[in-house]
Amino acid sequence: MLSVLSYGRLVARAVLGGLSQTDSRDYSLVTASCGFGKDFRKGILKKGMCYGDDACFIARHRSADVLGVADGVGGWRDYGVDPSQFSGTLMKTCERLVKEGRFVPTNPVGILTSSYYELLQNKVPLLGSSTACIVVLDRQSHQLHTANLGDSGFLVVRGGEVVHRSDEQQHYFNTPFQLSIAPPGAEGAVLSDSPDAADSSSFDVQLGDIILTATDGLFDNMPDYMILQELKKLKNSNYESIQQTARSIAEQAHVLAYDPNYMSPFAQFACDNGLNVRGGKPDDITVLLSIVAEYTD
Amino acid sequence: MFYYICLRRRARSGTRGEALTSRRAVESGQRAVLPVSVEVEQYAKEVLDFSSHYGSENSMSYTMWNLAGVPNVYPSSGDFTQTAVFRAYGTWWEQCASAPPPFRRTPKGFCSQDYIELGFEEPVYPTAVEVLETYYPGAIVKILACSHNPFSQNPPTDVRWEVLWSGGPTKVLTSQARQFSPKIQHINFPTNLLRLEVNSSLLDYYTELDAVILRGVKERPMLALYKMPMIDINDLSDSEEELSDTGVPFRQGGDIKHQRTGNGYFDKLPYELIQLILSHLTLPDLCRLAQSCKLLHQHCCDPLQYTQLSLQPYWARLSDASLGHLQSRCTLLQRLNLSWTGNRTALTLTGFSSFMKACGVSLVCLELSCCHFLNEACLEVISQTCPELQGLNLSSCDRLHSQAFTHISKLTRLRRLVLYRTKIEQTSILSILTFCIELRHLNLGSCVRIEDCDVVTSMLAARCRSLCSLDLWRCRNLTDRGLAELVSGCRMLEELDLGWCPTLQSSTGCFQHLARSLPRLRKLFLTANRTVCDSDIEELAASCPSLQHLDILGTRLVSAASLKKLLQACPRLLLLDVSFCSQIDMRVVQELCGLFPNVAIKKSFTQ
Repeated sequence: MLSVLSYGRLVARAVLGGLSQTDSRDYSLVTASCGFGKDFRKGILKKGMCYGDDACFIARHRSADVLGVADGVGGWRDYGVDPSQFSGTLMKTCERLVKEGRFVPTNPVGILTSSYYELLQNKVPLLGSSTACIVVLDRQSHQLHTANLGDSGFLVVRGGEVVHRSDEQQHYFNTPFQLSIAPPGAEGAVLSDSPDAADSSSFDVQLGDIILTATDGLFDNMPDYMILQELKKLKNSNYESIQQTARSIAEQAHVLAYDPNYMSPFAQFACDNGLNVRGGKPDDITVLLSIVAEYTD
Repeated sequence: MFYYICLRRRARSGTRGEALTSRRAVESGQRAVLPVSVEVEQYAKEVLDFSSHYGSENSMSYTMWNLAGVPNVYPSSGDFTQTAVFRAYGTWWEQCASAPPPFRRTPKGFCSQDYIELGFEEPVYPTAVEVLETYYPGAIVKILACSHNPFSQNPPTDVRWEVLWSGGPTKVLTSQARQFSPKIQHINFPTNLLRLEVNSSLLDYYTELDAVILRGVKERPMLALYKMPMIDINDLSDSEEELSDTGVPFRQGGDIKHQRTGNGYFDKLPYELIQLILSHLTLPDLCRLAQSCKLLHQHCCDPLQYTQLSLQPYWARLSDASLGHLQSRCTLLQRLNLSWTGNRTALTLTGFSSFMKACGVSLVCLELSCCHFLNEACLEVISQTCPELQGLNLSSCDRLHSQAFTHISKLTRLRRLVLYRTKIEQTSILSILTFCIELRHLNLGSCVRIEDCDVVTSMLAARCRSLCSLDLWRCRNLTDRGLAELVSGCRMLEELDLGWCPTLQSSTGCFQHLARSLPRLRKLFLTANRTVCDSDIEELAASCPSLQHLDILGTRLVSAASLKKLLQACPRLLLLDVSFCSQIDMRVVQELCGLFPNVAIKKSFTQ
């Protein structure tokens, strides 16, 4: 039962907003990316949208805006495999799938499944593994559909508060869920999660919502309140401001990662599990910052 | 004069594009074309039909659907997933026992092996067609335009195809990317449906295409009014109009002059000699010659001239009527090629069954590749009218539903069956294998609807003991168990294509077992298996001395040393594909090429 006040507000909005009560405008995401590779490579775009072993993509199609991040598992380097190849190819394939419309906006896990399948169709024998997080905005329905496999993830911020976030998927400490292609014979020894294991969620978004998609390099070094502090500085929804904010978040996380005395979320978690550590966690950092805005051509 | 001045003034105030075009026209010596519209440039909107591709049926890697849209790779060169790649190249597949012998009377101008049809958004009068080839270019041999709009809701009526350009297969010196833009003919209808035909027989590796650009004008260029295209007498010799005229009986009682001269000394030649001479004519010439005089009419309609009939070169014009006219002469037909014909309602069940009923009784070989008019009733007709059939090709007949294939089990004499890229399911293929026990050559490549390949190979091992070649390209669920049963039962196997079968693991010993069981092995494709290792190569070296074609693309586990052993042990080896094998770099390839000059060692690259 609506109170008189809220009912009045509704009527006022309806009268002011025109005939319809529902918002029939198309939404879109205005997205900027920034990141740093672990070994001080300052945001050098290796093959476009790659930061160290992390990779990301931003793509649009007729009906949807899609973005994704993937964190290549660094352990492969010890076996002579370049970890950035898997994550980079995965993200590039997702981008291509979206651009060619080979996806359903309500099924972001399908994008991961198709992309992983396409990696296996490549003549080049790819090896490696990575996490993956995909975020899809359905322009007409104003719904955000997400899929997350591993410890990358997203936050949705509205009115200065986190209203949605993804859950980390870990097998055990520092071992996230991951898509992988193993060398023959090593399939038993290599962790390989199916794309179906990804968590998915769908929810409504509003104009002005801020979506932050990032790899664990950000979340392990910057707690929520610091991120929210930076996001408060975001004044409007044009690309330059978003780019600036994304950069400042990534830079801050990058600095904190190398601070040996700072009690990072990663260190906090370790302490909670009995490990006496302190300091940031040097890691590749990838930040995609988006604002939900009206769709303009 | 006044008119000319008015036209010139319009040209001056036209857009820069129009002015450029008219200036170009003036420079090229033609009368100035003052375009009423600007040139439209389009990429393909949709791939509508094609005969084959390298990639998997639900994938965007190396599949024909990549030819639509903007280029992804050009101007880079290399073997990339985002391109359109056909299933075969070179002459390797023609060398195999599974390849059918060529048909007689194939006109010299027809050498197409594969095709792809593309729809564009806007119908235009084409002024240029550009094909962006990004790897081993040179395969395109024909470009055609169609009068039918594939996106219209209306059913196709009066479908005409005109050749925009045709040429022979070429081999460009390098494998580098190029933009292929041949000079095309002008046509007098607007088109948004193009067809490219290719022949990769001269190429050293798979050709890859990235995009096609169609340039044209929306309104008919005025040039067409001034200058009608010259009717080249050579064009007529391959035109198919004659096929519809074949039914016209020769009219008696012509000129007195003709009767006086008679046939000269020609009719003094023995019957067989005239038949021999006529056997060299192409089909349209034969039909035309039939109308010249009574004697030649008798010769040209003699069923002995029609023991082999290839209508594939005339796919664009073949109709129910043409089949009807040819019917009476095809009573001794043994080999019939209707591949690529009958699409867009040109052939129907009525015309096809009437022809088959008249001509199927001695038919031994029937090629029906890419015949989309086929339905279950057609297959039923074949099973009823062609009891002697030994070879049946239903390659890429992807509109047939699985149930239709069960009729094939009635063709118990079948020796060669091609079901590449069809939707056949397990029950139908098992039914066929139960009854067609004389099968020598079976192609189940890209038959994605077969649920359990192991069951199929098990049935083959039990029933088809004379199997000589088997194509299981992209059979996703074949395991070592099924493979073991296959090689125990089908000991005569010479050709085996297991490319892109990811469920076969070398660690089970399946490849070594295969090598030991098949001493006659001549062709083995283990493309993209990733588990092929040195022990497998060494076992092949030890057990398969007749090996001619081997593809081990994409494995990290094979070394140069074991390849050397193989090359030494298999003197007949002609093709060895080691693309993307990480231990085999260019230096190794060059060394092996030097030591074994008779072997074509293939190493593809991405950059």
